Amino acid sequence: MIVAEKKPIEEIIEEIKDYKKILIAGCNECVTVCEAGGKKEVGVLASALRMYFINNGKKMEIDEVTLERQCDHEYLEEIRNQIGQYDAVVSLACGVGVQFMAEKYRRIPIYPGVNTSFMGVTEERGVWTERCQGCGQCILARTASICPISRCAKRLLNGPCGGSTNGKCEISKDLDCAWQLIIDRLKELNRLDDYEKLLPIKDWSTERAGGPRKVVREDVRL
Amino acid sequence: MQLNDKIRSGQFVVLGEFEPPKGIDFGGFLKNADLVKGRLDAVVVPEMANGVLKASSLGGCAFLQSHGTETVLQICHRDRNRLALQADILAASALGISNVMAVPGDDIRFGDHPQARAVNDLNLLDLLQLLKTLQEGKDMAGIELAGKPQFCTGSLLNTGASGGLLDMELDNLDQMIRLGVRFVITTPVFDIHRFQQFIKRINTLQVAVIPTILLLKSAGMARYIDRNMKHINIPPETIREIQKAPDKPKKCIQIAGELIRQLKALGMAGVMISTVGWEDKLPQVLSEAKL
Ligand code: SF4
Ligand code: SF4
Repeated sequence: MIVAEKKPIEEIIEEIKDYKKILIAGCNECVTVCEAGGKKEVGVLASALRMYFINNGKKMEIDEVTLERQCDHEYLEEIRNQIGQYDAVVSLACGVGVQFMAEKYRRIPIYPGVNTSFMGVTEERGVWTERCQGCGQCILARTASICPISRCAKRLLNGPCGGSTNGKCEISKDLDCAWQLIIDRLKELNRLDDYEKLLPIKDWSTERAGGPRKVVREDVRL
Repeated sequence: MQLNDKIRSGQFVVLGEFEPPKGIDFGGFLKNADLVKGRLDAVVVPEMANGVLKASSLGGCAFLQSHGTETVLQICHRDRNRLALQADILAASALGISNVMAVPGDDIRFGDHPQARAVNDLNLLDLLQLLKTLQEGKDMAGIELAGKPQFCTGSLLNTGASGGLLDMELDNLDQMIRLGVRFVITTPVFDIHRFQQFIKRINTLQVAVIPTILLLKSAGMARYIDRNMKHINIPPETIREIQKAPDKPKKCIQIAGELIRQLKALGMAGVMISTVGWEDKLPQVLSEAKL
């Protein structure tokens, strides 16, 4: 899933303070799971904002909605009939959702309510960590299903650097060395021989470095 | 007289562009520079133009300077992050390089190492800000430097821009000037009339505008550039002239020389002559231009 963090409320207030009527739009998928932009967070943010504007003697109408997904035409269409009455929308979806909504509703300013962070997992309640950087040429088959691109601080492809200590990365004692994890798992799988096979120098052209990306599938196009 | 002083005193400056080799044999590079020694004010050494691997601009500049040729270093944010940029800029100054040009670099995808990861930690204006900061004696972290580098700073200007792009280009130029840019080297100019229209919108007292003169090699090359390079226009007469000429290289040299003379007559700050592979013909271009 896409992991995001709530933006500081001051930042949101600064963006919307001059409007009179706004909609806060949550998303039922990724950002609900990472507890940054689901229905619950929409409610909490709306209440906090109402309180703030009342305390500051400013009239501000705030409505709430949570869509199934904001990265899909179908669900974004659901608000077509209401959206026109708002001065602006604060979207708590990831950056993808914010942009897709803005592409659809061109006359209404759409503000991001979260900071979109990475593609990752809920390691435990309240802890999310990165797992993939969408490099466009997955090498997990060769690395015991542990991604060194997203989990090694230096994105090394052929074993740890000299800074790996007791299974931890040199940049932080709280961070596992990805290559230690890979080696441990190769051992468990009885495939340590794979470690000796060199991975080729990475082709970064399919990663974001090669420019904005696009997937076109002729076989599924309408 | 150094390039900086010449620009300041408003004298016509003549720059040449020499690409360092792909490899370590700098013999030809030096020979070409020696052919025009004393006739150029400085040699511009590109930093991997078109994203094609070559020896670095810093290496090329240091090499030529050690053989008595003044150079203009290209600093490119495509391949270096802010640490590497600062490190190279400081080294360049210590090596005696006094002219720098901030450039964005052509996209890696179009070069010969499309698998490489572009850096672009800073953008062009950030890079100019960085040059300014270093010249004030501090690094980007605000830490004091042991000795301040001093540069005559330049950048690029797209004279082929039109419409909204042109407004943006001019806005950009204003910002560059505010960040200390004293000269800008333009995209290749072939159409003097169009160039005059463009230049009207620039206060050339604030910044030295140095048009690029690209030495054509054939009518085919001219046609290709005219069709495929968005911001470069080559008048059809120019292409026809080359086509009709019995000695095409000679004609190309004449065309370049004539353009230089016209630009000088227009009061431009100077020219930058790019010979792309025909560096040995540069002396003839200069003679043709009466330089
Ligand atoms: S809009 Fe973003 S958060 Fe919502 S489902 Fe799509 S990707 Fe996930
Ligand atoms: S190798 Fe690439 S695609 Fe595979 S998990 Fe890592 S970043 Fe994602």
